[in-house]
Order: sequence, then C-alpha cells, then structure tokens
Amino acid sequence: MTTSSSQSTTLWSDLLLRAMAELRELYNPLEDQLADSQREDFAHLFDGSAKLDEMLQQSAPNRHDLMNVLSAIRGYGEMLREDLATEHAELDSALTRLLKGIQAANSGGDTSEPASATQRTITTEPGFILAVDDLQENRELVARYLSRSGHIVVTAAGGEEALRSLDQADVDVVLLDLVMPDMDGREVLRRIKEHPEWRATPVIIISGRQDMDGIIECIEAGADDYLFKPFNPVLLQARIKAGIERKRWHDREQLYRQQLERNEKFIRATFGRYLSDEIVTDILERPEGLELGGDLRRVTIMMSDIRGFTSLSEQLEPAQVVSLINRYLAAMTDIIMAYHGTIDEFIGDAILAVFGAPQYRDDDADRATQCALEMQAAMEEINRLNREDGLPEITTGIALNTGDVIAGNIGSERRSKYGFVGHAMNVTSRIEDVTAGGEILIADSTLQSLNNQYRTGDSRELKVKGIDELLQVHQILESDR
Amino acid sequence: MTGTILLVEDNELNRDMLIRRLVRAGKEVVSAADGQQALDLMRSEKPAVVLMDMNLPILNGWTACRQARADDTIKHIPIIALTAHASDADRLNALEAGCDDYATKPVDFPGLLIKIEKLTGNC
Repeated sequence: MTTSSSQSTTLWSDLLLRAMAELRELYNPLEDQLADSQREDFAHLFDGSAKLDEMLQQSAPNRHDLMNVLSAIRGYGEMLREDLATEHAELDSALTRLLKGIQAANSGGDTSEPASATQRTITTEPGFILAVDDLQENRELVARYLSRSGHIVVTAAGGEEALRSLDQADVDVVLLDLVMPDMDGREVLRRIKEHPEWRATPVIIISGRQDMDGIIECIEAGADDYLFKPFNPVLLQARIKAGIERKRWHDREQLYRQQLERNEKFIRATFGRYLSDEIVTDILERPEGLELGGDLRRVTIMMSDIRGFTSLSEQLEPAQVVSLINRYLAAMTDIIMAYHGTIDEFIGDAILAVFGAPQYRDDDADRATQCALEMQAAMEEINRLNREDGLPEITTGIALNTGDVIAGNIGSERRSKYGFVGHAMNVTSRIEDVTAGGEILIADSTLQSLNNQYRTGDSRELKVKGIDELLQVHQILESDR
Repeated sequence: MTGTILLVEDNELNRDMLIRRLVRAGKEVVSAADGQQALDLMRSEKPAVVLMDMNLPILNGWTACRQARADDTIKHIPIIALTAHASDADRLNALEAGCDDYATKPVDFPGLLIKIEKLTGNC
C-alpha cells in the first residue's frame, strides 16, 4: 500500500468507525422499541463493523473481502435508514454518515464533506494513554484512533481498573468517561488529583453534550480538558497532543528540578566549606552562578598567620598542635563567613580569604577590615581556652590588600577549585610577612576603598618584588563607628 | 413479477444482506456459495436472473459464466456480475465471460434493482 492510499483508508474508515460507534450508542437505548427484523439488521450491521475492524488491522486487506463487508454494511445501513430515518433523526444522521463513509471508501477516499478538519493529521510524540469507559465499543474506538497515531493505549472498563492501571504504568494522559457504573468518573478524577504521583497526569473528561454541568464540576476538580461524545477524532488527537505535551513539560520540569537539587547539593557541599551559606544561596539563585568562569575582579584579600607558629609547633605534641590550630581556624572561619568572606585556602596555620568574589559588594573592603578587627578581638577568648587546656597563647597578624585578581575555577578537570590568581595575592603575602602579632596592616589600596572611617596607626612603606614604587601600608587600630 | 433470483455469493455477510434486501423488495431468492452450485441451481431452478460474484471458490464467476453460456438449457438466463473491481478491465472481463451487466461492490441496491428489472423485463 502506498502512503496516499493508506491515508485515504484512514480517512474513510475513521468516518465509518466513528459513525458506527455513534450507532452503537444510539442503538442501546432504542433496542427495546425495535422490531425483530430491525434488531437483526443492527446485529448484522455491527457484525459487519467488527469484520471491517478486523480487516483494517491487517496491513493490506484483501480488496474483494473489504468490498463485501462494505457492501453488507451499506445494505444494512440503507435498510435501517429506510425503516427508521423518519422517526429517529439522530439515527438517520449517523446512518447517513456511515453511508457517506462507504461512498468515500468506494471512491478511493474522497468525502463530499468539507474535508479540511478530517484530513488534518496531527503529529505528536507517542504517549501512553489510559482510556476509561464502561462501553467496550468506545474503548475500542478510542484505542484504534490513538494507536493509529502511534500512541500506546491501555483501556479500563471501570474506575477500579483505571486506578490499578495508573498504579502499574506511567500514564501520560487519562481519557475518562464521566458516567460509569462501578465508580463514577468524578470519583476517579478525585482520586487521581489527590494522588501525589498521579496528580500531574492530565485528565480529559469524555461526556455527553447534555452534561455541561458535570464537565464544569470536573474542570473545577482538576480535569484538564473535555470532549463531547461522539467525539471528532481530530479533536481527540488534538486534545491528546496537548495533554501529552503538558505531561512532558511537567516531567521535564521535574527532571530539571531534580538536577538542580543535585547541583545545589553539590555546590553546597563544594563551596559550603569555604563560603557562607548566604553566598552559596546567592550563587545558586543566580543562573550564571552555576558556570563560574574565570573573570577579573576587584577584591580585598585577607591573609592571616599565627606568629611564630612553626617554632611553637616544634615544642608541642602533634595532637596538641592539631587541637590548637583547629580551635583557631574554627573561630576564624566563623568570623570570616559571618562577614561574607570567601576562604580560599588554609596553608598550615595561615588563612587566605577573599572579600568580593564570587560576589562583589560595595563594602568588601569595609567588611574585610571589620572582619580583621573581630578576628583580633576573638584571640582573647581563644587564648583563654588555650590557657585552660595548658596550651600556649598565640597571636595572629592580619594583612589586607585590595586589587584585581582572576577568580574562577582553577585547575584541571580532575581537580579544580574556586580560587584566585594575580599579583595582588602576592602583594598581600608580602604585607603579611611584615605584620606583627596582634596587628592589622592594610594596603593603601584597601584604605582608599573603605567607606567607613577607621582609626589608623603607623604607616610603613614596603618594597615589593615586581613593583618599582614602594607600597604604603597602614595599621588599623579600631573602627571609628 | 420478476421470478426467482439466484444470488451467488461466497461472502456470508454480504450474501445474507442481499437476500434480506431482495426479500424485502418482494423478490424470491435462492442462493449459492460457489460457481458449481450456481450452475447446478441455474439448471434446476431456472431463475429469472443470476447475481453472481466473480471471486468464487471451486468454480470462479468467470468460468461459471462461460459454462452457463455454453449450456443451451441455461444460456438465456441473464447474469449480473457482482464485482469488487470497478475498473474497465474487470467490467470487460465480466462482459466477455458472458455476463449481461455488472454491479460493483459495495452494491448500490436501487441501481441493482433497476438492472434486474431491465434484464428480466427484456426476457
């Protein structure tokens, strides 16, 4: 079969099967009013429909057999129309459509109807559809329509069965008949929307045109869409497509959220040791924060060092050295983080921290200076604890320098860290070298960056390798505030 | 009054429908399901007209038609070919085999009745 002929098969067979489904629906309430011969005609008609259905499942149905079945359907359809058309307008119109479908089959797929809506093919990614309807014909019809467009369709004859199916499979869209004997569609809908995992699954309500109130009720209860019976297959496909897309969006969104959560966990674990919670949160909240590329930043660099620690440590037991240094580093870390400093590294007893990266703030120099003052103030408490534990008292010197550095993920793919490079780092180290115990020395560049006033002590000039001019450094004594 | 119509159709569904419709239209119908049965009934029942499907088991419609035309006792009985093929070649095949007229499936019943009346009226 060529594509075009199979497409025209789809066209007329859709028309036919749709009309047949309508006839089944119309027939059920009428059955008792009909004469025996009419009931037989209907039975034969449905029989023919079943055979037709069977044939259409085949990839290349025998034309002769097909025409025999169509002929039979046409015959019974015409007989029934002759008998019943005047009394039953709905039946007449369904039969007329049925016969039109046969006519279309015979003329190679042409319908006299304006075919624009029928011919539109709706392409969509295949989905997993659960069709819930107590009438077997309706289930089969829906299954046929939708499996033809590549969807996987499972059917359920009632509410309980539907809920079981939902439990077993990841359903993309639920097509839900409103009126069912065992569990009403409303109840099924309520259970779906209450379920933590199912609630995101779009539900399309299928109902008779007369039950608008029921549909409104369902939409208020969380249904996503609705279709009137008998439904237009193109409309059904369009709604299914929209439903699948909605579900896919939700799935993707959930996936992204999980990835983000993983990333966030990773970032918190990675940066949390060096950065304050607030900075980690800031990074996470900025989309570009996830891609910390290297960039040039103006930062205030802090370097602190315990004076004479190397010789001190030689006189102590290793365990004492560790507890001494840990107490000191823990206290200093807390203070630096409180001032939103980024700890770049501990080098033995030395701390290298940066203010202004990954996030620049206007008061970077001020916070660094305040931080240094508080660190010095904290030494009193540390030394009190050291005395209690029989450990020696220690003093620290803190150097601050403000300058441009490259900040970013530095290293190789296997091992990288958020770090800083630049001459300003070396300059800070040079200042640190000349700081005495209990002293805070800040470079002229930091002093110029301060917004607040601080009481300064002596100023000195240092010779720094690589710079011709002498570097001005100032002693900070306390905040003037 | 047309007289008996012999319907030769192997497809049960379509056969039943046509019988039903013909009876409703006031016709008397006998039916056969293959070409050989058809020839036998033509000889025994002497129907006024034969409606014959061409794709028949045992003896196909074309062969049955040719044999009927070769049999002096039944060669006068008009045969309407029922065919699933609407192409000119198929129509010609049926007419060449000796059919008097043809109707394509799905059968246009009022049209078929007119053909029946025309052929039986002529006889």
